[in-house]
Amino acid sequence: MPYSFTQIEKEKGRVIAFVFSALLAFYFVTAFILYVACKNLFFAQYTLKQYQAPFHWQWISGTEALSLFAIAFFCGIGHWVFTVNGLVEKILGILKAERLNPEDKYHAVFRNIIDEVSVATGGVRIEGVVIPVCAMNAFAISDFSGRNVIGVTEGLLARLSRAQLEAVVGHEAAHIVSGDCLSTTVTTAMFEIYHSIRQILGHLMTKGRSSKNGDYGVIPGIFVIYVLLSFASFMGHLLRLFVSRQRELRADAIAVRLTRDPLSLAEALYSVSSRWRGAGLAGEELEAIFIVNPRFDQLDEKEGLIANIFSTHPPVSKRLKVLLDMARSDVSALERKWQEQRGRPRVLAPETRSARADPLSADQEKKWIVNKEGQWQGPFSLPDLMNLGWMRSDTWIKKIGVGEVQQAFENAEIRDFLWKKEQQTGFSCPHCRVGLFSDRYEGASIYYCPSCNGAFVKENNVHRIIIRQDYEFSERIKEAARKFYAQTRRDLPKVDLTPASLYYCPQCQKPKVKMMRMLYTLAYPVIVDKCSFCGFLWFDKDELEILQCMIEDANRENAKPA
Amino acid sequence: MIIAMVLFGLIVLSFLFSVSIYNLLIAMRQNVKNGWSQIDVQLKRRHDLIPNLVETAKGYMAHEKQTLENVIKARQQAVDASGLKDKQQAENFLSSTLKSLFAVVENYPNLKADQHMLKVQEELTTTENKIAFARQYYNDEVARFNTAVQTFPNNVIAGLFHFTKEDFFEIVNPAEKEAPQVKF
Repeated sequence: MPYSFTQIEKEKGRVIAFVFSALLAFYFVTAFILYVACKNLFFAQYTLKQYQAPFHWQWISGTEALSLFAIAFFCGIGHWVFTVNGLVEKILGILKAERLNPEDKYHAVFRNIIDEVSVATGGVRIEGVVIPVCAMNAFAISDFSGRNVIGVTEGLLARLSRAQLEAVVGHEAAHIVSGDCLSTTVTTAMFEIYHSIRQILGHLMTKGRSSKNGDYGVIPGIFVIYVLLSFASFMGHLLRLFVSRQRELRADAIAVRLTRDPLSLAEALYSVSSRWRGAGLAGEELEAIFIVNPRFDQLDEKEGLIANIFSTHPPVSKRLKVLLDMARSDVSALERKWQEQRGRPRVLAPETRSARADPLSADQEKKWIVNKEGQWQGPFSLPDLMNLGWMRSDTWIKKIGVGEVQQAFENAEIRDFLWKKEQQTGFSCPHCRVGLFSDRYEGASIYYCPSCNGAFVKENNVHRIIIRQDYEFSERIKEAARKFYAQTRRDLPKVDLTPASLYYCPQCQKPKVKMMRMLYTLAYPVIVDKCSFCGFLWFDKDELEILQCMIEDANRENAKPA
Repeated sequence: MIIAMVLFGLIVLSFLFSVSIYNLLIAMRQNVKNGWSQIDVQLKRRHDLIPNLVETAKGYMAHEKQTLENVIKARQQAVDASGLKDKQQAENFLSSTLKSLFAVVENYPNLKADQHMLKVQEELTTTENKIAFARQYYNDEVARFNTAVQTFPNNVIAGLFHFTKEDFFEIVNPAEKEAPQVKF
């Protein structure tokens, strides 16, 4: 690799020196302004009144300047320690990122890809996180303790192919190995705290102004604080200007060195830049850590001095051109391929969730005999067999009429049954009171009722299921979705709120609190029951699929060439 | 006197220079070793996964005994191989038998949809990729080391302390060999 660890260490020293001097300058200037203002105010208020002397501007002495500098120094250190401590954790909190769930199919693939790229870098340790939103974007952050994190949104995970995802992770890993990730993270986060306080204050001030009695509700003190915070926020922006937009081009180049796949990176960039990148979400202020600016900024697409100074990302078209030149391809070929893939039918066609029934009910026939201490006993059905207290995996068994004497673990049917039994969850269906089974649907975990086919899903997993497109729907579901859509265009469905019809949450089982019944959204008014404690949602039969189908249809209609 | 001092200065300088070259070469050789151990770890992982894969596939593909046996045989050869050249050959052969196995799997829709099979297949894919990346990293490091050993003035120091050229981990598919040009 072109970057060794010693170089990264040197980079670290530079970052510390640079950011700390910026902090020092900020606190010194702030302290200076405050002190001079207070001193003159005091002079005008009291000294002039007492001695009737003419006013002349009070400046500060060398000692005072020195003590101001000392104060600024300590403030700077305090600020530094506060920001750097648990920096990664704080940013992940702002972005509402989640740890990877090893049970989730897409997350498992993402984890594997991170490990692969980590091998390509020569063994840099990298963690993975996801942001559970439908937008497409990716980011990398690291801190002084040497912790590196790469995160992607669920939309990116669901929509990119394995090779494309690998290229994106390669790009983010390139930021990490080249060390610019650290400086970007620290500079973007340094004044984030003041920025958020300023936003809250600004919000309060505008609220106060619009209150009915015409009282502005803003005391001058708060206004001064607001101005100071604005100054801090401006400093933050100023600091960010030093994050060069060229680093994205460099990371693209190193990513190609790592993964040897410029075409996939170009495809991924094209795909990300022509969809929703996450504008309006939390963490928009941290734009510099993302692969493509979450806000669509006209300035990003421009060249020239002003754009070079003020923009955090180089033009996507330029990045694409560099990558496509490496791959000996061009933009029109890329566009063609992208359009083709949009209309691509989904891969795994045959199965939908609603086709499933109780996996345990099929085996009620009593056809098994078991050997207990030399005595054959039975016949038992499969569920009975499992309930025998002394049954072990090496117990001898025989199926009546067919097969030979075997030990229990050798029999495929018994193994299969045990596996299904493990999927039982202990939750019961709020509607028909039978046990819920756990299952994977679109790679995410859900619980379903074998009797009424309702589904019990965690809220974040609902988002995941909506974005992912592993399964094709049956004609019945498509028809139902079309009908439902046409009907709800005219009038919204009536929500039955009679207390007796409401459900208890299968997970929380609060004896006095029932789930809320509501529309999923006004645009897609499927009726769902939501538990306000655990955030799980209950969908009646087919409702989850209808919701998915409606959203996908709408997306297809809205899809226009970029 | 002045000449003596200049000479002494030159000697000290050249000594410092050689020390820095020596340290650089040591660091690079360490990187090469690190690269090789990464390959080794991934190859072992692949050897561990294959019995699992064969066990899963067995139930579904009774008629493809030959393919499965080939994979098992190739794995055994790879495990037994010692020395870089032997290992390369055995591993490349194992890769090709695995490829033919996956081609056959395509004909069995039930096997393709099997949850366990999907998991093992994903594991194998990621291990294959890791092997490829580890090999790429190793070869890059070997190339850097070999260049350093052979260029002047490093070759003087290298000859003195017996730094010799390292072998590449050769690749069957020549298209993979080329790193793309990075240009701006």
